Amino acid sequence: MNSERLRTEICGIKLDNPLILASGILDENGYTMARILREGAAAVVTKSIGSDERTGYMPPVVSPGDGYLLNAIGLTNPGIDNYGEEIAIAREVGKPVIGSIFGKDAEEFSTLAGKMESFGVSALELNLSCPHVKGFGSEIGSDPDAVEEIVNEVKRAVSIPVFAKLSPNVTDIVQIAKAAEAADALVLINTIRGMAIDVFARKPSLTNVYGGLSGRAIKPVGVRLVYEVKKETGRTIIGVGGISCAQDVLEYVMAGSSCVELGTVLMEEGKGIFSKVSTELSILLDQLGFDNISDAVGVAISK
Amino acid sequence: MINSVITGISDVAANVRKIDFKWDQKLLPGQFIMLWYPGVGEIPMSISHLGDPKSITVKAYGTVSSKIMELGKGDRLYFRGPLGNGFNVRGKKRLLIGGGSGMASLHPMIERGVHGIVAGRTSADLIFLDEFDQDRVLAASDDGSSGFKGTALDALKTLDPESFDSIYVCGPEAMMFGIMKHLAGKNVYVEFSLERSMKCGIGVCDSCSIDGNQICTQGPVFSLESVMKMREFGLTRLTTSGKRIRF
Repeated sequence: MNSERLRTEICGIKLDNPLILASGILDENGYTMARILREGAAAVVTKSIGSDERTGYMPPVVSPGDGYLLNAIGLTNPGIDNYGEEIAIAREVGKPVIGSIFGKDAEEFSTLAGKMESFGVSALELNLSCPHVKGFGSEIGSDPDAVEEIVNEVKRAVSIPVFAKLSPNVTDIVQIAKAAEAADALVLINTIRGMAIDVFARKPSLTNVYGGLSGRAIKPVGVRLVYEVKKETGRTIIGVGGISCAQDVLEYVMAGSSCVELGTVLMEEGKGIFSKVSTELSILLDQLGFDNISDAVGVAISK
Repeated sequence: MINSVITGISDVAANVRKIDFKWDQKLLPGQFIMLWYPGVGEIPMSISHLGDPKSITVKAYGTVSSKIMELGKGDRLYFRGPLGNGFNVRGKKRLLIGGGSGMASLHPMIERGVHGIVAGRTSADLIFLDEFDQDRVLAASDDGSSGFKGTALDALKTLDPESFDSIYVCGPEAMMFGIMKHLAGKNVYVEFSLERSMKCGIGVCDSCSIDGNQICTQGPVFSLESVMKMREFGLTRLTTSGKRIRF
C-alpha cells in the first residue's frame, strides 16, 4: 500500500515509499529482487558485486540469535560480468535497482561502477566495509584517504547518483563522512564487527570466525551515527540497521535519514514486511501530523 | 545451535550410513536440518526417521558429509532446525518417487501399503528399497544393475499416475523436471521437494532461491502447480557464487 504521505525521493530517484531492500539480503538472484519489489519495496540494493567470481565462505555463514544476526558470507558474488542478467530480471518490475559494488581500490571501484551503470541501475552504493589490503584486519571504510579517493574516482566515472555506505567500525564517523563529501548520499550503517562461540563444540560459530552484526540489536548504534553525521554535516542520509517496524523507520528519519533500508528483519518477518511497514508508517505519520515523510527528516536534531 | 549425542549407527548401502540421535522435536516428513561439523562446515540434511530416536541418512559426498561419516556412537551432532515446510501427506493410495539420496527425505512416509519408485545410477545407490512392500515398489537403475534399466520417469511411465491419490517426488532437478512435465494436467495431487545450493537456512542469503521463493524457508516442498509456474525450475539456477547457469 502506498499513500501520498510515503512518496519521497532520494537524489532525484522517485520512491513509492521510503523502504528499500538493504544490500546482502535476498538480492543475489534477479527473480528474488523482482519478487521483493512486487511485494512492496520501493527499491532494492543488489548484493555487493566485485570484479571476480567468489564462492564466499563455507557455511556456517550465519549465526542467528534473539534480536540479531551474525553473518560472514564472504562477499559471495558471480563477478560483475555475470551479473547483468540478474539486474535485467529485477528491472522488469519498473522500480529502481541500486547496484552495490566492492573493490580493493579506487581504480577497481571505478571500473565496477561503469559496468554497473551500463546494466541500467538507478544509483550505485559503495560497500566500503570490505577488507583493507594495506591494513591488516581493518576495513577500507576506516581509512579517510581511501574513502575520499574511491568516492571521488567513482563520481568521475559515472553520471548516476553515488551512495557511500559507511562502516560503523571507526573511531570518528564524522571524519569519514566528510571524506566521502563527493558522494550524493551516505548510507549508515553497515554491520558491526562481532563473533560468537559454540561452547559445546569449543569453536567459533562462523567458519570465518569473525562476522558482521545486524538486526534489531544494532538499531541504537545506527540511529546515533545517523544523528551525529546529519547534525555535523547536514548530508543526505539513507538509514539502515535493525529497522523492523514503522516506529523504527521514523526514528531513523527523525535522526536525519531521508529514506531507509530493511534487511535482517526479513529473517523473522519475510518478504511481506515492506507492505506491512508501509501501512503502519502511513498511519503513524497521520497520527503524528506529518503530511509527508520528508517533513519528519531530522526533526529530532537539537540545534 | 542444537547439539545431541549419537545413540546408534548403521550402514544402509555402500557409503551410506544411518545415524540415530535423540531430539525431542515434532517434525513433518520432508523437513530438514543444517548439520554442522565444527571447524569444517555445515550442510542441509533431511531427517530420514522422525520417531524416537530420530535419524539422518548420510552419504559420503563432500568434505562435511565425509567427516560426519567418521562420527561414532557417543559423539555429538550439531545442527540448526527444524527447517522447511515438509510434505502434506494426503490420500489413501500414495506413491513415493526418490532419486539417489532424495529417497532419504521421503523415507518418513514409507509405510505398509505405500507404493514406491526407487531410482539411482547403480544398484548401490538404491536406498530403503527393502522397506517397501515388495509387490508395490519398482527399482530403476541407469545401468540396469538392479530392477528396471532406466530412469525414475521411465519407471513411472509403466504406471497409471491417476490411479494414485498423491505422488511425492525428491531427487535431482532434471529427474523432477521430467516427472513434472509427465504429470502436468493429470488428476493426481503431486508434491516435489526441491534442492538448491543452500547456505544460511534462514531465508536471507538468496543462495537457494527459485523464482523468488527461498527453498530453505518457503520450501523445500512445493506443489506441482507452483513448480509449473516457476521460470527457473529445471532450466536455470545459480551456482554457489551466484552465477546463473543452464541445466
